[in-house]
Amino acid sequence: MSGRATTASAAARRAQNKRRWFAITPPEGVPVRFEIATIAARFGAQLADVGLTVAASFALTILLALLPFNLDDATLVVFFLLMLAIRAPYYIASELFWNGQTLGKKSVRLRVLSADGRGLSTHSVVIRNLMKEVEVFVPGSMLLSGQSLGWFWGTVLLVWIAIVLGVPLLNRQRLRIGDIIANTIVVHDPKPELLPDLTDGAGDEAFVFSAAQLEHYGRFELQTLETLLRRHPLSDADKAPDPSIVAVTQQICTKIGYEEPVPDSRALAFLHAFYKAQRAFLESRQVFGDVRDDKHHSQPDTDGES
Amino acid sequence: MSEQPLIRSARFRSEREADWSRLENLVSQAEKRGASSLSLDEAQELAGLYRKAATGLSVARDISMDRSLLVYLESLVSRAFLTVYAPQENLTGVVARFFAESAPRAVRASAGAIGLATLAMVLGFFIAWALFAADPAWFYTFVPAELAGERGPGASTEMLRSVLFDQEAELAGQLGVFAAMLFSHNTRVALFAFALGVFACVPSFLLTVYNGLVLGAFAGLYANRDLGYELFGWLSIHGVTELSAIIIAAAGGFRLGLAVLFPGQMTRKDALRAVSRDAAKLAVVSGIMLLAAGLLEGFARQLVQDTEVRLLVGWSIGAAWLSWFLLAGRGRT
Repeated sequence: MSGRATTASAAARRAQNKRRWFAITPPEGVPVRFEIATIAARFGAQLADVGLTVAASFALTILLALLPFNLDDATLVVFFLLMLAIRAPYYIASELFWNGQTLGKKSVRLRVLSADGRGLSTHSVVIRNLMKEVEVFVPGSMLLSGQSLGWFWGTVLLVWIAIVLGVPLLNRQRLRIGDIIANTIVVHDPKPELLPDLTDGAGDEAFVFSAAQLEHYGRFELQTLETLLRRHPLSDADKAPDPSIVAVTQQICTKIGYEEPVPDSRALAFLHAFYKAQRAFLESRQVFGDVRDDKHHSQPDTDGES
Repeated sequence: MSEQPLIRSARFRSEREADWSRLENLVSQAEKRGASSLSLDEAQELAGLYRKAATGLSVARDISMDRSLLVYLESLVSRAFLTVYAPQENLTGVVARFFAESAPRAVRASAGAIGLATLAMVLGFFIAWALFAADPAWFYTFVPAELAGERGPGASTEMLRSVLFDQEAELAGQLGVFAAMLFSHNTRVALFAFALGVFACVPSFLLTVYNGLVLGAFAGLYANRDLGYELFGWLSIHGVTELSAIIIAAAGGFRLGLAVLFPGQMTRKDALRAVSRDAAKLAVVSGIMLLAAGLLEGFARQLVQDTEVRLLVGWSIGAAWLSWFLLAGRGRT
């Protein structure tokens, strides 16, 4: 194996790795992976939540001003007090009662998760949101208030903001300080979608493959073919075949030494049949302990003509 | 469906597909309408199907090369896991438990740290008192100009007295005082004393001593003009609550700092996490007390002009806090 990883499979894997995953082991003992939220998604969720709380305090302030209270110059003060009273309780209550999702997180399909593989505890929700006050809102409001802080507190503020921004950018799991202390992690909400099994109804008996012909590919190639075939289901077989289907068919025929000519109109049926045969073959090899991750796994001497 | 024999992994899937889609329905029902919308049977079914699906996932990882199936099962199991292990809390339960049990317990468990913080503040107070008695110029060293305002060794006794007994009856003015108090010096001290405790207690200790210094300098100034008793009343009405809040916040910082200094058998990270359970509660208690102090300062202090009544109100509120900390949440464990 070359360290460069210039093959298509290596490039595809590298692209896979750009998405970061976090595995937790629930009490049932079967580990599951969650995709770690991107900084952009988290920022968007935060923005939506800040917008909501500001809008809520604004609406309440207007309501109070319409009532027969004489607020006058205290209006702004009332607004900021309401902000303070609404913000932390909103985050804590929504994450606690909606299982780790504020409205902002819901809108971008994010979720807070306890990193220890148990349910979220009240304690961790409170901690991570109190830390959010210290991390984000206190320096944020200090910046926005615009009053001069003097060089000393100004520098402290800048260093603090740099640390707060730097922590989630620098660690692999994109944890902010509150997440680290509360032992939580923000992930993308998993969305189960069951696609039909490609081997259902496939397996045109016109195409028969020998064991030697199925030795060439491994799991990675099989799953790449699966991705292609999901876009071109067998029900499309009557339509004019896509050029990529024809090209892939030719490539496979050459590689495995399939000698009967496959007409273009039958290319899709051929690929589905090949997928089924290849999957059955690889799965049974795997049951016997012969795990073939990709085509490089196969023995060099079986690479030749059959 | 075709009449052709299914391959092994497809057979595996077709045998379990009905269970999975049932689980999916239950999970989405619980997510949309809350777990309480499930009947007892449905809830038991959900838990059972979740375990079956988890087992199915671990088998599928071994025998199936159908990526879409693996992806589906993994997200189904993780989603079901989130539903099954969702926090089952309600607002009244959380709030009641906090006030009735966890907060006073956390305060009692931090008695040592609270003692340390009190000591730091008293230390600061007497240092400043003694230094002011020796030379009033020390006042300017301890008290920042924006906090002192016109009060200082140069101010007239009349002016100093007027600060103690001013009358601002307007709602706007009172709200302003309340807000100013919230964003004030003391709140900042409490916040930093808590948050900076992680750095081995030192910043918390210094901040608490410093707060005592400011207090001591003011006390020295007013005592010098024979206004000590009046100042005591003026401070008592909100100060008992406010200074206790600062002490409790600093105690939270000390707990964090002590965990860093002496983690014992645990790693420092684990020790911090363990102690943060109490420290977070101290922070919330301190926040509630600061809020109460703000209300007292903004509204009660102007309403009550008599020093004796001020003392009575201030210290009975202090006694109420103390009995909450000492008496609540005992018994059941």
